[in-house]
Formats: sequence, structure tokens, C-alpha cells
Amino acid sequence: MALLEIKNLHVSVGGKKILNGISLALNAGEVHAIMGPNGTGKSTLSNVIAGRDGYEVTEGQVLLDGRDVLAMAADERARAGVFLAFQYPVEIPGVTTSAFLKTAINAKRRAEGKPEIDAMEFLKLVKAKQKILGMPDDMIKRALNVGFSGGEKKRAEVLQMTLLEPRVAILDETDSGLDIDALKIVSEGVNTLRSPERAFLIITHYQRLLNYIVPDHVHVLVGGKVVASGGKELAEQLEAEGYARYLSAA
Amino acid sequence: MKQSALLVHPFGARYAAALPAADSARREARETLALEGLPGPKREEWRFTPLRGLAKIPFIPAASAEDIDVRDIPADVPRFAGAVRVVLVNGVYRADLSDKVSEAGLAIMEAKTPDHDVHAPLAVLNAAYMSGGVTIAARGVVAKPVHIVSIGAAGAEPAAFHPRFAVAVAPAAKLTVLETHHGLPGQPYFSNPVTTISVGTAGVLRRYVLVREDSEAFHLATTVADVAADAKFDAFHLGLGGALVRQEINVDFVGEGAAVRLNGAYALTGRAHHDFTTFMNHDMPNCTSSQVFKGVVDGESRGVYQGRLLVARHAQKTDGQQLHKALFLSRGPQIDCKPELEIYADDVKCAHGATTGEMDPDHLFYLAARGIDPQAARLLLVQGFLADALENVDDAAVHDILSAEISGWLMRKASA
Ligand SMILES: Nc1ncnc2c1ncn2[C@@H]1O[C@H](COP(=O)(O)OP(=O)(O)OP(=O)(O)O)[C@@H](O)[C@H]1O
Ligand SMILES: [Mg+2]
Repeated sequence: MALLEIKNLHVSVGGKKILNGISLALNAGEVHAIMGPNGTGKSTLSNVIAGRDGYEVTEGQVLLDGRDVLAMAADERARAGVFLAFQYPVEIPGVTTSAFLKTAINAKRRAEGKPEIDAMEFLKLVKAKQKILGMPDDMIKRALNVGFSGGEKKRAEVLQMTLLEPRVAILDETDSGLDIDALKIVSEGVNTLRSPERAFLIITHYQRLLNYIVPDHVHVLVGGKVVASGGKELAEQLEAEGYARYLSAA
Repeated sequence: MKQSALLVHPFGARYAAALPAADSARREARETLALEGLPGPKREEWRFTPLRGLAKIPFIPAASAEDIDVRDIPADVPRFAGAVRVVLVNGVYRADLSDKVSEAGLAIMEAKTPDHDVHAPLAVLNAAYMSGGVTIAARGVVAKPVHIVSIGAAGAEPAAFHPRFAVAVAPAAKLTVLETHHGLPGQPYFSNPVTTISVGTAGVLRRYVLVREDSEAFHLATTVADVAADAKFDAFHLGLGGALVRQEINVDFVGEGAAVRLNGAYALTGRAHHDFTTFMNHDMPNCTSSQVFKGVVDGESRGVYQGRLLVARHAQKTDGQQLHKALFLSRGPQIDCKPELEIYADDVKCAHGATTGEMDPDHLFYLAARGIDPQAARLLLVQGFLADALENVDDAAVHDILSAEISGWLMRKASA
């Protein structure tokens, strides 16, 4: 059984059809990349899996370990191991990053029947992970994402991912906004999380990211549908040729 | 005055008879009170905060009750480390509970008679029956802050008290004052404080006010401040409890180049009512005033913000900003927000803004996507909304005290 299985998923937003029958199976240990032109439904797919309101699933299923993900509330999905690194992380004034991280870590620990994390242990853990991602220590004292630069927001998303250790991580354009060095650092962060128990769905516009995080499968999403799938060479081909051939076929 | 504008209230002859003979200042104020009464629902400034409920309660002067015995400071009164603590019980200075003052430049004296004329109606009531109070005077940079603790308590009968505070900051002097208002549960009590402030030329006063009265209590506070040239008056007010609370703050700019910040926050549940009413009287050029008030409302509570800003014709280069933001936690509460800008000068920068709304669904989703359940997410966001208001509190120790007060409010709300 695949870790995450998307079966014939059809989704509308406000009566407008966005996803037109997507099927993907992510096995544990795999990294899948999705590429596709702007506005083809990549973020819609991520949001539907993560459980954002406002999307109407008209057909199809999403299963995590065979469990019906779409029947679960967003917070339940996250505790079950679904993680979405947002394309546009929101700024939340007044909520410190550290209070937020601690609440999120404890929500997960509680769901696993573990005691709450000790304050010292928490700081040590976060500090260590921040260091790996090249983030300053005092970042977590600031309000969540408020005034963070584009790249800092993306690093903060990856920090959350490494702290929450999800089973399925969806990275929606996590590479956009990162400088050349940050791209390497963040990719290494993702690579250290790669494990036989975990799967990744990486949405990107640039093949360069996939030089660092080498995918097992690459899919092309056009018009709310997977129009081609292949290995990492498919990304290279897209980089060279663009989407023209898929657009005319769609 | 029309009869309908008057309110029948308990502060007449029966109330006076329970007290010893009055001095001339109090007698004069009682005459004014007899003529003008307390504001009824037709008085514009009191339209959103009706006093009918208060006027129906047969208050007696707290000083005349023989069954009130407060021997200690309640355990939940915050400790302001390093501050000179001044304690009043039912508006009367308590030397036995207060710190001795031995701080250079700082003088704290017990006040016995209402020696300032403040014309607001509740200030007249205060002058008529002034219970006691303190006068604080600062010269030079006063290193130690002052913490005024007001404790209200009624005995078998509802009780009222009327403290008076005066804060005088000499030219170029600097002072920080924290004022916290608390009370004991039981019969309702009514705290009616009046504070007169003067900040001398190039002086700096930081004033922080916490109103966490008992849930049955009334608290109607009037503050008048004179701010001289190049002076700074920086105030933050937090309203976390009381059945009916009003914090009215009137600022007169009496010199050029003064800067005033009046900020505040309130958090209301049940049927609590909280009113911030401010008046910025820009009568001098080149002054700035900035106001940010934030409220969280739940249950059937009611929040009021009335901000009047008057810029005289000669008060050029005035910068006057005001902002009110309210966060609804349910559909039951009511918010009344009334900005009133009267601008007669032509070269000014003045603006007001107001927003009300429920929690941002994008924020809730972000937290949910990290496994945080809806209840915990809402708690985090309310705390964040209030914590954000505290950004304007520059004094780190006071910031921590107020932050802990907000956490306490959230915990009481969660367990209610
Ligand atoms: N709430 C909404 N209301 C109306 N249209 C929407 C809504 N959300 C998404 N859409 C539309 O759905 C389409 C797909 O959007 P989506 O964000 O999934 O694209 P994307 O593939 O992630 O694009 P990009 O590469 O630019 O991030 C777009 O045309 C978008 O305008
Ligand atoms: Mg997108």
C-alpha cells in the first residue's frame, strides 16, 4: 500500500473546476516532484490534501496509509503526519514563533501519547535545527513570519518540518525566494529528513532544486491533470523545452 | 437642564449623612453634583455607557461600613520588583501596606482634600466624596518606579469610594507609574478614581494602568493630563475585569513639541462592559498624539471607544492618530466606536482607523496545518492579538506583568 494515495481527484473552487482527476501514489521513502505552469492547480492540490476550507471535492479520494484523509479535519491530518510547507506562509502578529512551535510540537506529542516537551529540551532542539538551516537563534522570539524576508519565511517552513517530522511532506515552491546558498542549505535539510518511512511531494518551477533534492519521480501538471510522469530527466527536459508540448496537448 | 437627562442616583443626602461633616471643597462639589447630577442616557459622551444599572444600587460610602476588614494585599496582585508600592484600600492610603519612600527626587504624600477642579461629571462626584488618595511628585530622573495598588471591597452592603491621585513630573524629570486596580468578591463596589497629571517641560511620564476589578464591580476613572512643551506622556491601559468599566483620559497640550501616546487593550467576557473615552486637546503647534486601542470581546460583552481629537486653528503641524481594533470571539458582543475629529488648523496630519472582525481563517488554517486543534489555535491567536497590543509597553518589567495578566485572563476564560 502506498503511503499517500491520491485517486482520481476532482476539485472545484467557487463552481470553477480546478483539478480534473489527479491520481498519484507516493510510496514511503520516495520523493515526487510536481512541475507545471502557473495556475494549473499545484497549490490547490496541496491545500486540498492539507485540508483548507473552500474547496469542493467532487470526486476521488486521498488516502494516508489507507485512511481517508478528506474525512479528517486539517489539524487531525497534520497530527496524522501530513505537512504542507506553504507557498505563502501567513504572518501572525503577536504570536511568537517559539510559542507557536512549542504548541505545534506538543500537539503532536500529545497525539502520540508522549508528555509535553520540557522547556530546556525545546530550546536546545530548536537551536540545533536553526543552526543547520542557518537561522539566527533569536528568530523564534519574533512574531511568526512577521517581517520575515521571503527567504526567511521559507526557511521557517522547513524548520517547522524538521521539528514536526511528518510522514508526508508537501513543499509548495519552498525554493522560491531562497538565495543560492539558502537553496543548498534548505535542500540539505530536506535530504537529511529523507527516510524509508517518509515521502515528499515537491512542487517547484525550477529544475535546479531537483539537482539538490533528487526526485524518484517527476510529474507534469497541466490543466488540473497529470499529463506526463517520468524520472528526474523529465525535469531537465522541461527546463530545456518549457511546457509548450503539454499545453498544446491539453 | 432637562429632567430626562438627569439620573436618580444614590449619592445624595443619605450617602452624605453616613459621612463626617465635609470640608468646603467637598461641600462645593456636592452643590455642583446636586445641580448637575450624574450623566443620563441623553448625554452624548455617556450614550454608550449607561449608568442606570449603577444608579440603582444603594451604595454606601465604603468609609462608613464597619464590616470591611482588609488586612493584606490579595495574593493575585502583581509584584512590580524594584518599585515603591503604594496601597489604597477603598480609596484610602494604607501606610501599613505601603513601602516607605526614600528615593531621591520622589515624594509621595497622602492627599486629603480635592484641590484640583476637574469638571467631568464623575470627577465632581469624586470631589464631593473624596475618600483619600496620594500625590506623587518627581524631580529629576526617578530610578524607582511607583506601583499604586487600589483594592476595593464591600461588606454586607454595596460600597463606593472615590480616590484622588495627582502625579506631577517636574521639568526634565522622568517617572514611571504603574497603577493596578483590584477587588474582593462579594457585594458590588464602585471605584471612582480621579487622576490629575502634569508633565513639565521636557519631562517624561510613563503611566501604566491595569483594571482588573471584581466581576461585579464598577470602575469609572477620569484622568486629566497637562503636557508641557517637549514633554512625553506615554500611557498604556489594560482593562481585564469589572461589570462596568470606563477609563476616560483627557489630555491638554499646554506647550509645543509634546508627544503623547495613549494606548490600551481590553478583553471582555460574559456581560462585561468596558469603555475607553479619550479627548486630545491639541491647543499648541507641533505636538503629536497617537492612540492604539485593541479589544477582544466574547459572550454578551460590550466594548466602547470614543476618541475625540480637537485641533485648534493655531495648532499647526499637529500629528494626531487613532486606531481601534476589535476582535470578536462570538456573535454576541457589541462594539461602539466613535472617532470624532474636529480640526481647525490646515497644516496637520490626523487620521483615525477602526477595524472589527472575527479571527482570520488563514491564520486558523495555518495553525491547524501544524496540528494545533481549533481551541488551542483560537487561544493562541487571542493571546497574540493582545500581546501585539502590548508591543507599545516600553517598560520591560511592566510588559511582563501585563503579559502575565493577559495569560491569567485567558486561563480564567478557558476554565469558566
Ligand atoms: N479561492 C479561489 N477562488 C477562485 N479561484 C481560485 C481560488 N483558488 C485558486 N483559484 C484558481 O485556481 C487555479 C489554480 O490555482 P493554484 O494556486 O492551484 O495554481 P498553481 O498551480 O499553484 O500556480 P502557481 O504556480 O502560480 O503557484 C488558478 O486559476 C487560481 O486563480
Ligand atoms: Mg501555487
